[in-house]
Amino acid sequence: MISPARLPARRPAALLSGAVALALAVASCSGGSSDGSATSKVTSITALDYYTDEPEHSQWGEMLTACGKTAGVKVEQTSVPGASLLPKVLQQASSRTLPDLLMLDNPDLQQIAQTGALTPLEQYGIDSSGFAKGILSAGTYKGRLYGLAPYVSTIALFYNRDMLANAGVAVPRTWDELETAAARLTRPGRYGMAVDANPTFEGTWQFLPFLWSNGGDEKRLDTPQAAQALQLWVDLVKSGSMSKSVLNWTQADVHDQFVAGRTAMMINGPWRIPALNKDKNLHWGVAPIPVPRTGQTPVTPLGGEVWTVPQNAESRQEKAAQVLACLNSSPNQLALAEQHFTVPSRTAMASQYAEQVPSMAAFVKSVEAARARTSELGVKWPKAATGIYTAIQSALTGEQAPQEALRHAQQIATSD
Amino acid sequence: MPSRSRPVTDPARARCWERLAQWMYIVPAAAYLLLFFGYPIAKNIVMSFQQYTITTFYTGAAPFVGLQNYSKILASDLFSKALLTTVLFTAGSIVGQFALGLAFALFFQRRFPLNGVLRSLLLLPWLLPLVVSGTAWRWMLDPDTGVVNAALRALRLSSSGIPWLTGTSQALVSVILINIWVGIPFNTAILYGGLQDIPRHLYEAAKLDGAGPLASFRHVTWPLLRPVVSVVLVLGVVYTVKVLDIILVVTGGGPAGATETLATQSYELSFQQFEFGRGAAMSNVLIVISLAFAIVYLRANRRARNV
Amino acid sequence: MKRAPARGWPSTIVGIALLALMLFPVYWIVNASLQPAGNTLRGGWFPFHPDLSGYLTALRDQGGNLVTSLVVALGSVALSLGLAAPAAYALAQFRLRGTNLVLFGILVTQMVPGIVVANALYSAYTDLGLLNSYLGLILADSTAGVPFAIIILRSFMRSIPREVIEAAHVDGAGRLRVFRSVVLPVSRNALITAAVFTFLFTWSDFLFALTLTTTQTVRPITLGIYQYIGAHTNQWNAVMATTVLASVPAALLLVVAQRHLAAGATSGAVK
Repeated sequence: MISPARLPARRPAALLSGAVALALAVASCSGGSSDGSATSKVTSITALDYYTDEPEHSQWGEMLTACGKTAGVKVEQTSVPGASLLPKVLQQASSRTLPDLLMLDNPDLQQIAQTGALTPLEQYGIDSSGFAKGILSAGTYKGRLYGLAPYVSTIALFYNRDMLANAGVAVPRTWDELETAAARLTRPGRYGMAVDANPTFEGTWQFLPFLWSNGGDEKRLDTPQAAQALQLWVDLVKSGSMSKSVLNWTQADVHDQFVAGRTAMMINGPWRIPALNKDKNLHWGVAPIPVPRTGQTPVTPLGGEVWTVPQNAESRQEKAAQVLACLNSSPNQLALAEQHFTVPSRTAMASQYAEQVPSMAAFVKSVEAARARTSELGVKWPKAATGIYTAIQSALTGEQAPQEALRHAQQIATSD
Repeated sequence: MPSRSRPVTDPARARCWERLAQWMYIVPAAAYLLLFFGYPIAKNIVMSFQQYTITTFYTGAAPFVGLQNYSKILASDLFSKALLTTVLFTAGSIVGQFALGLAFALFFQRRFPLNGVLRSLLLLPWLLPLVVSGTAWRWMLDPDTGVVNAALRALRLSSSGIPWLTGTSQALVSVILINIWVGIPFNTAILYGGLQDIPRHLYEAAKLDGAGPLASFRHVTWPLLRPVVSVVLVLGVVYTVKVLDIILVVTGGGPAGATETLATQSYELSFQQFEFGRGAAMSNVLIVISLAFAIVYLRANRRARNV
Repeated sequence: MKRAPARGWPSTIVGIALLALMLFPVYWIVNASLQPAGNTLRGGWFPFHPDLSGYLTALRDQGGNLVTSLVVALGSVALSLGLAAPAAYALAQFRLRGTNLVLFGILVTQMVPGIVVANALYSAYTDLGLLNSYLGLILADSTAGVPFAIIILRSFMRSIPREVIEAAHVDGAGRLRVFRSVVLPVSRNALITAAVFTFLFTWSDFLFALTLTTTQTVRPITLGIYQYIGAHTNQWNAVMATTVLASVPAALLLVVAQRHLAAGATSGAVK
C-alpha cells in the first residue's frame, strides 16, 4: 500500500526541480552574450545614461546613432532613472559588464574613476582643448581626464513676468531685494519664492549658489558666511514668502509649482525651458541668482553630464571613444546645447552660442564662473553634500539654529 | 529493544522511504529558497565585515575590518533615533493595519449584494506601484495645496491646516497612515480567508448557548483565528520593518530625519554615501531585529497555546 | 441564506462608503490622469475638462510592457504555487522532524530586504545569462511569492482534518492522488489567496525589474512608468494614466479570482 504512493510522489518533485535546473541551464546557454570576443569586428556598442525624459531621450538617441554612424557602429542606448544609475553602474562594474559608453553626472565621475573602471581619455587622442575649466576639473581624477561633457548648465532665478509687473516688483539682484520681492509677491494661494530644500543632493545643489556667493566653502561649513546663507532660506520660510513644503519638494516639484502659478519665482535650471515654453499663458524670465551685496558675481554649481569610456575590450573602447569625440565635436555641442537649452562646454562655442541664442546669454555668463562640486573635495564630496542637506533640513524645520545645524554638518562632512 | 531493531526489517526501510518521499514535497521549494536567499544572505554577511566601498565593486578588494562597520553604525547618533522611528513606524502601522483589516474582514463576513466585488476592489491599492500611490499621497497631504487639508478647512476642523509632511512629528504620523492604507488589503484578505474557514455550526452552537456577538467573537472567532492572526502579525512586522519605498517617495526620510528608519538608513549608507559595508551591516541589524521579534512572538504564542 | 436579503442592502451601502474612503487615493490618481499634460497641480476635485493625452501617451508607449507584466506575473504565480503547494502540504500534514526549522528558515527569507537579494542576483544572473529574460524575472519575482505562499498555504492546510486525508488513503489513493484530488481542491481558497498576492507582488515589483534588465527587451510596466518620471520633467498625467491602464486588466483578474473564492467559500460552508 505504501509503495505505489511512494514512487509517483517522488517523481514529480524530482521532475520539477529538474525542470528548474534545466531551464536555468538552457537560459544560461542561450543567453550567453556575444561580446568579449575582442578579435571579431565591433559592429555595435552599448551606451548607458539617465535621459529617461522625452524628448531628451530620443534626441540623445538620435545623436548617439548619428555619431555611431561616423564610427561605423550601431549604438544601443539604455536610459535608467537618475537615482538608479549609480547602483546599476556598480553592479555592472562588479560583474565586468559595463556599457561601452557611460554617462555620469559630473560630481560622480571622480568616485567612479577612483575604482579603476574608467579609461583615461588621452589614450584615444581625444582633443580636450578649449573646454571650460570647471567641467575639465570635474572630468579629471588624479591629473588624468576621464570624462567630457558636450554641454554644461547651472541654475538661475526664474520669475513670472506678469506677477512681478502686477506687484510692481523689479527682478531682485541682491539678497535683500530677494526677501522684499518675495514678500511682496506672496498672496493667498501663492508664494513669492520656491527652492528645492529636500533631503537629497538636489537640495544641496540648490543651496550652493547661496553658500558660495557669500564666500562660504564646503571645506569648512561652520562659518558665519555659511550661516548667513542658510539664515536667508530660514527667513524666507519664516516670513511666509516661501512654503515650508520646500523641505519636501524636488526640482521637478518646484517647477510644477511655478507653472501652476503657485510661486512667483523659483530656482531652477535651463532644462526646464522646453516645458516652460509649452505653456503659452506663462510669461517667464530668467536672471542670475541674487547675490549678498550689489555688484557681486554669483558663484553657481556646474551641472552637466560627462561621457566616459569604461574598461572593456580594446576594440570596443576605441569605437566608444570615437563616438565620445563625436558627441563633443563643436557642431554637435552646439546642436545639443540648442536642443536642451544648455551651454556648449567649449568656451569658443559658448560665446558663439550666446550671440546666436540671446535668451541663453544669462546662462552662458553664469556658467563661466560656475564651480564643479568635486573641485575641492574630490571623492569626499558626498559627505559634505550630506552634511549640507542635513543642515538645511534641521534649520528650515526649526530643529536647530543655522550655526548649530552647520556645526553638525561639518561633523558629518569630516566623519569617516 | 536493540534486538528488535537490528534485523533490517521491511517496516523500517519502508518508513525510511516514506520519509524520503515526504521530504520530496519540500525539496524543490527548499532548493529554490536556498539558492535565491542563501547566496544573498551569505554575501551580505560577508560584506558587513568588510570595508566594502565603491572601488570594491570593480577591483574586488575588500579588506576585512571585523566588527568595525557594526560599531560605527551602532555608535552613530543617528542610530538610536532611527531605531526609535522604526519601532514607532512598525508598531503604529501594525496596530492600525491589523485593527482595520480585521474590522473589514468581519464586515465582509456578512452576506450582502456586491460583497465579492467590493472585496476584490479593496485590493486595488496593491495594484498600484508604490511610487505612484506615494506620489498621490504626497499631493493629497501637501500642507498648502493638498486635498486633505482643503477638506479639513472646509469642515472647519482646522483653520490653518496640518503640516502633514513638513512638521517633524506629523510627518511620521503621515507615513504611518499611508503604510496602514497600503497594508489594510493584505490584512483583510488573509483574515477574511481565516474567518471563512471557521465552521459555521460553531457560531450557531454559541448562539444556542446564548452568546452575543461579542462573546461569540471572544470564544469562537478569536481562538480559531489565532493561527492566521499569528501569520498576519509576524509577516506584517517582518514586512513593515523593511519598508523603504513608501518613505523614500513620500518624505525621503525628512523633514530633518524625522522619518528616517533603519531601512532608509541602510539604503542611504549604501547608495548615497557608498559605504556598502556599513549599509550591509545595517540591513543585518534589521534582519536580527525581525528575527528577535519572530522568536519572541512565536515562543510567547506557543506558551499561550499550551496553557 | 434566509437573512441575506433582509440584511443585504444597508450593508452594501456601508461597504461602498467604506470602500470609497479607502479608494480615495485611487480616485485621485484617476483624476490626475485626466488632467492636461504638464501640470496636475491645477486640477480640481473633478476632471471637468478631461484630457486624454495622458492615456494616448500611455497607450502608445506601454502596450508591450503591459503584456510583459502579465507574462511575468502569471509565470510567477505558476512557479510559486507549483513549488509552494506541495511544500506547504508536507509542512502542514506530514509530521516531519525539522518542520519548524524549515518554517523558521522560510520566515527568515522574508526578513531580507529586497535590495540585498536584487544586488546578489544581478551578479549571479550575469554569469548565468539570465538578465533581460522572462525566466530570470519570474524566478526573481517568485522570491516574494514562494515563501509567502508556503506560509499562507500551510496555515490553511493545517486545518484540513486528518480524517479526510486518512479516509482517502484507506480508499486506496496514493499520496500524490490524495494531494491532487483531495488536498488541493479543499485548499482552493488558500490557493487563490496565495495566487492573488503572488500576482500582486510581481505586478507591482519595481526593484527586480530595474536591477535585472539592462535593455528594453523585457520591460514590465512598473519600469515603463519611470519613463515619465524623469530627472528633469514629470509627465504626471502619463504616469497616472499608465497606472490606471495597468490596473484595469489586473483588477479584472482579481474580481474573477474573488468570485471563485466566494463560490469556494460557500460550497465549503455547505459541507
